[in-house]
Amino acid sequence: MIGTGILKGMGITLKRFFSKKITQDYPDVMPVITPRSHGSLDFDAEKCITCGICANECPNSCIKLDTFKNEQGKKVLEKYSINLGYCLFCGLCVNACPKGALSFKTDFELACFSREGAIYTWKGKEPRPEETPAQPGDAKTAAGE
Amino acid sequence: MDSNNNITSIWDFFQNPIIMNLLIGVVYFAAIAAFITVLVIILMWMDRRVAAFFQERLGPIKYGPQGLLQPVFDAVKMVSKGNITPRNVDKLVYNLAPMLIFMTTLLVYAALPYGKNLTVVNLNVGVLYLIAISSTATIAILMGGWGSNNKYSLIGGMRTVAMIISYEIPFAFSLLGIIMLTGSMNMTDIINAQKNVWFVFLQPLAFVVFMITAMAELNKSPFDLPEAESELVAGFITEYAGMKFGLVYLAEYANMFSMAAIAVTLFFGGWQGPLLPSWLWFLIKTLLMVFFIMWIRWTLPRIRIDKMMKLNWKVLIPLSILNIFLTGIGIKLYQYFTGMGGV
Amino acid sequence: MSMDSDNLNLVDDLNTQEFTINMGPYHPSTHGVFRAVLTLDGEVIVKEENVLGYLHRGMDKIAETRTYSQFVPYTARLDYLASALNNMGYVQTVEKLMGIEVPERAEYLRVIIAELQRIASHYLMLGSTTNDVNAVTGFLYYMHDREKVLDLLEMVTGARLTSNYMRIGGVIDDLPEEFFPKVKEFLAYLPGRLEMMETLILGNEIFQERMKNVGVITAQMALDYGVTGPNLRAAGVRFDLRKVAPYSAYGKIDFEVPVLKNGDAFDRYQIRLMEIKQSLRIIEQAVQQLPEGPIMAKVPKLIKPPAGEVFHKMEGARGILGFHLVSDGGPKPYRLHIHGPSFVNIGIMPAIAPGMLLQDFLAAFATIDVDMGEVDR
Repeated sequence: MIGTGILKGMGITLKRFFSKKITQDYPDVMPVITPRSHGSLDFDAEKCITCGICANECPNSCIKLDTFKNEQGKKVLEKYSINLGYCLFCGLCVNACPKGALSFKTDFELACFSREGAIYTWKGKEPRPEETPAQPGDAKTAAGE
Repeated sequence: MDSNNNITSIWDFFQNPIIMNLLIGVVYFAAIAAFITVLVIILMWMDRRVAAFFQERLGPIKYGPQGLLQPVFDAVKMVSKGNITPRNVDKLVYNLAPMLIFMTTLLVYAALPYGKNLTVVNLNVGVLYLIAISSTATIAILMGGWGSNNKYSLIGGMRTVAMIISYEIPFAFSLLGIIMLTGSMNMTDIINAQKNVWFVFLQPLAFVVFMITAMAELNKSPFDLPEAESELVAGFITEYAGMKFGLVYLAEYANMFSMAAIAVTLFFGGWQGPLLPSWLWFLIKTLLMVFFIMWIRWTLPRIRIDKMMKLNWKVLIPLSILNIFLTGIGIKLYQYFTGMGGV
Repeated sequence: MSMDSDNLNLVDDLNTQEFTINMGPYHPSTHGVFRAVLTLDGEVIVKEENVLGYLHRGMDKIAETRTYSQFVPYTARLDYLASALNNMGYVQTVEKLMGIEVPERAEYLRVIIAELQRIASHYLMLGSTTNDVNAVTGFLYYMHDREKVLDLLEMVTGARLTSNYMRIGGVIDDLPEEFFPKVKEFLAYLPGRLEMMETLILGNEIFQERMKNVGVITAQMALDYGVTGPNLRAAGVRFDLRKVAPYSAYGKIDFEVPVLKNGDAFDRYQIRLMEIKQSLRIIEQAVQQLPEGPIMAKVPKLIKPPAGEVFHKMEGARGILGFHLVSDGGPKPYRLHIHGPSFVNIGIMPAIAPGMLLQDFLAAFATIDVDMGEVDR
């Protein structure tokens, strides 16, 4: 009979009306995120050997390494920056890193007010000897995190 | 002497029946306007929460207790927005349309019986008045659709005309059965006639036809073709912004309440009920009716325009005429067996 | 007398006229940036014209400037609603060119992720179609279930939309331990919800009125226009590359290819629901049969396929997804051509649109299930 489908449908929606709600109270209650989630990239300056494989591997060339030669003539990392504004979160750099210095972390709140804010910078183990490096605009600095 | 004279003259001024009527009118208007404002805030909140609950969500909960202040925030946002008039619109028609839409809504509220002896104007042709007023909104919607100078708006406006004009017929016919039973078009008389049994039980067919046509008159899903957002962007309100849009929005919710109130008055015994005060019964019944309308709205998909016309002309009008016919037979049989009346 | 002739002219002028309407590129129901130029006679469509290219990013050209492995994340942006399937198609093409043997466990993992992705993609189509006919509640129920699929995908791949899980030679990561109870829960949960949606949407008379005999694509028409995927199967042609030319681990898994016969919007909608059920079967079997072993083949660090060309096609969520890859022996592709099913499927719109109502057009367009990322590339 015409109308039974509509009535059945209305029964379903009424049942859903009294069912458990799925709304997440996000800014007040943080959601549970799986550990593998590609939230943002984390860099460990201690492990980095400045080989530059990650920068080569990146499809969008959003990784930049600033290096210098120290007294022993060894290439040392001065500054490591990732432009997350252009990052695809593909994980090629994470896989490519021979020392495991790069990793994903679940922190996903990356909103910022300027394009420069999306450039994440980490300082190297030792500073450049002659002059202190200038800090970019309002870039977030997460040294040794 | 002078001051004395003045006082008497002012007193006389107020005693003047024309001024007196005017003042009473202003008071009534203020009361209805305040009632509608509060009502719309509650209805907007209710619509959002009910919709959310049907969709396994919570809806607005952040502002005020249970999110009750959310509509207030929305209204503030709406009022504070720029009053934009697009360049190529027909300015008079475009600006007049939202006001007219809201005005027809206000007019309906004048004749609703809110409780025992609680009605603004107790018209002896109340039902006729409601039918007449509710169809005038068509013109205002067409004005909005035409004046916007937008193809989507125009299609929306034309759909409204096609739909409301044709749905007016079964809408009026479905109420004829009740008028036949009570012999009156007065809302209070109709309510009093339902002391023993609600008309929904005497006129089930009429109620079904009434509900379907009422949804169409309200432009609510499944009949929300004039503002079908998935095909016409927003239909006749595409070009409206700010408070002009707000008025249309306001009118939509106010219409929902008034239509539910008409349904309650005509089919569910109006304000009649035990124990509780009559106005409370009216509110409870009407809000339950509003919930029912929302329930339908959030369950059903939109009907296609040609199928909608077919439904009207091939199903609803024959059904409503059949209902009139059956009611006539029923009345005659009742009179024959109880020995009342002639023939 | 002149008055009379004026009046006569007025009567002559009172005729209707066709008008054009631009549906899109910004329109609620064109699912991205599709633009249809519709010539309307009242509400009836007289002529329809597809205007494409609003999302053109030059994918084929980008491939020439990236190494073989660097292009994998870009394929996820092709058909961004079925990213894992695109990844799979591309990496299989490169593997075919290089002759890499993918470990069996990796094949099974690919199948699991691909089918989860197919469910997610079909769910989005079902949801958006439901929204286009304004059953908003049904849309949100679909989205609720899709969230569960995305949660599973995120658990394995780390991303919800553009997973980039497949690598040339295998997959990037094994399944985590917590995946197995979750997927079991999911497999038990979804059939009930599907049944509910069938009652709520398919059983609804208004929905049937909207969808039945709308935008009919007959089997002959579908073959003539090269329509593939669920749209072809809804027209009554039993053709599914997973069955016809089994790739990956599909040959070892038992599943059916659902077929309907009318080819109208209703059938195209229903076939997606049927395919989701088959995908659930595939996932269940793949998880059960999952063999032990490595997940990555021995692949050189820098991928340099031998000079030559290869064409590989697979069953994407929307039809046959093909990659034609030409290598000159260098580290970057010489030329890559992508055969996107959406692009082919959208070509049938001008043929079926005339005579439809405006509302039918949306139902037909939504059920053909086009992803503009793949059309414009």
